[in-house]
Amino acid sequence: MGIPKRKNNIDVYNSNKDMYSAPVRRQELLDRITKSDSYLPDSILHDDLDLGMLDFIKENFKIVSDGEQIPIIPKILTIQRWAELENSWEFVDEDRNIKLPFIAIVRQPDVQPGTNPVTQRTIPDRDTFFYASVPTWNGTQVGADIYRIPQPVAVDITFEVTIVCTKFRELNKFNQKVLQKFSSRQAYTTVKGHYIPIILDSVNDTTPLDTIDGRRYYIQNYKFTMLGFLIDSDDFEIKPAISRFFLLNEFAREGAPRKKYLNNTVDVTIVTFPADGLQTSFSVGESVGILFNVSVNGLMQERDTDYYHIAYTSKVSFDTPPLDGSTVTISYYKGRNNILLDNYGKILQVATEYFEYDGSTLIFQVNNAINSVVSVDINGLQEEEGSGYDIDGIRGIKLLGTPFIGSRIGVTYLY
Amino acid sequence: MENKLPITRLSKFLSNDDFDLNVQMGTEYLHGDLNMKLVLYRVDTTRTTTDDVYGEVGKDQIKYFPPIEFNALVKIDAPTNKSYKAGLVRFNEPGNITVSVYIKHLQELGVDIKYGDYIGYPESEERVRFYQVTNDGKVVSDGKHNMFGYKPFYRTITCAPAQETEFRGV
Repeated sequence: MGIPKRKNNIDVYNSNKDMYSAPVRRQELLDRITKSDSYLPDSILHDDLDLGMLDFIKENFKIVSDGEQIPIIPKILTIQRWAELENSWEFVDEDRNIKLPFIAIVRQPDVQPGTNPVTQRTIPDRDTFFYASVPTWNGTQVGADIYRIPQPVAVDITFEVTIVCTKFRELNKFNQKVLQKFSSRQAYTTVKGHYIPIILDSVNDTTPLDTIDGRRYYIQNYKFTMLGFLIDSDDFEIKPAISRFFLLNEFAREGAPRKKYLNNTVDVTIVTFPADGLQTSFSVGESVGILFNVSVNGLMQERDTDYYHIAYTSKVSFDTPPLDGSTVTISYYKGRNNILLDNYGKILQVATEYFEYDGSTLIFQVNNAINSVVSVDINGLQEEEGSGYDIDGIRGIKLLGTPFIGSRIGVTYLY
Repeated sequence: MENKLPITRLSKFLSNDDFDLNVQMGTEYLHGDLNMKLVLYRVDTTRTTTDDVYGEVGKDQIKYFPPIEFNALVKIDAPTNKSYKAGLVRFNEPGNITVSVYIKHLQELGVDIKYGDYIGYPESEERVRFYQVTNDGKVVSDGKHNMFGYKPFYRTITCAPAQETEFRGV
């Protein structure tokens, strides 16, 4: 048995590839979507989709009976009575009742999550993604803006199109129009350049046939589902793209010691650590000969109360971890004993003295001649030399601001 | 010519003359005192062009014989507020009209009111409302339509309001 011959010269786009090729067609669609203003699509919200359905019905379901077109109520009917009256005043009788026949469009108020497989949930959390790169010119530089939009939200909107008439032939004509239009189950309307599919779900008849003594008419309902999607321009992001590139690399080690010099003669090391809310022990990486002070966010901590340190080790430990984001500062003189030497080999001593401010004077005299001040704090809050205090004479510390009466002044100094 | 069967029942209480007298008095009251007039539009079924398949007619396509004015007792039901679609597309349905007419009056006019005919009732000086006969009341064998059980003397005709696109007397 012979193998059937394959026809492999099918010309999908006829012979004019330039006109019908996929890229050209895509560009054509994109131009339609963005024709209104810039490079971004317009918003498509519920009312736009409703308007698309209205236009679709008005355009495709024109029925002529007795030489006149069966009127279509020009807007979607809602529960507001005045709106119903306002939309039907053109074709009412003397009793202000709508004359038969007519066609009305009703939208179900509840809009359901969409079932259109093209626009279903594939990108989570409303993340935006690249849509277009648009060139910019500010007079001197050529740049670009990056346009990003989130994935459209799929929605299913149910419409009921109802024909009310008195003649069977009017029903036939309307039914023929609808079924021919939806012979492939779905038809399309255009909303701001986007093709939106509409599916015919069902046709049902609610004609009050049991009316013997009443007025008679036919009612048929055609139920459609619009597989729409929502695009909200408020969610669009426009960010300038890179126009110049300046690369700067900084190599820094977390917790690296930072040195502070006191009178250029004594090397006092200050190490800062960022706290993570969990860490209780902080190591400076070298033996601490003399520990001057430990502060958290500039607040002096009290040894053996707030923190602990074993002499000549590298660690400072807290009972409770400092809060996440805090800065722990440790000031020390490195060494394996408590002998403090300046750069000239002179032996120095460290002392800490406390005073209580009684309102009489801002100058406090320490017991020894000051070689260098390590720190001055008021109620534990560290002060800076020049703005918070000055050295006054040989043994004096002069506060530049006035603390509250009863404040505790701490002075750590070398002598 | 069909044979006529004389009605002799109840002759000790109600003769044919009594029957005619009662009808005459009622007619004087209805036609003279109340003077409620209606217009009958009898559909000319031979001249009216109907649909080949469904037998329906279009707007203003109903042909009718010359209208005839007649007197009757008229009762109009209250209008009802209805909607075509679950509360939407409201309409105020006029009430049905019930017409009571003497059989003798119709015989004198030489007309019959049939199912499907139209009746015009001048609601005001400016407006005539049209109704279609939904029950021509031809069956009058019940006690209500018989004068003391002697013989029928009036018909009750029920009509539903007609749509303007269906009939408007032109």
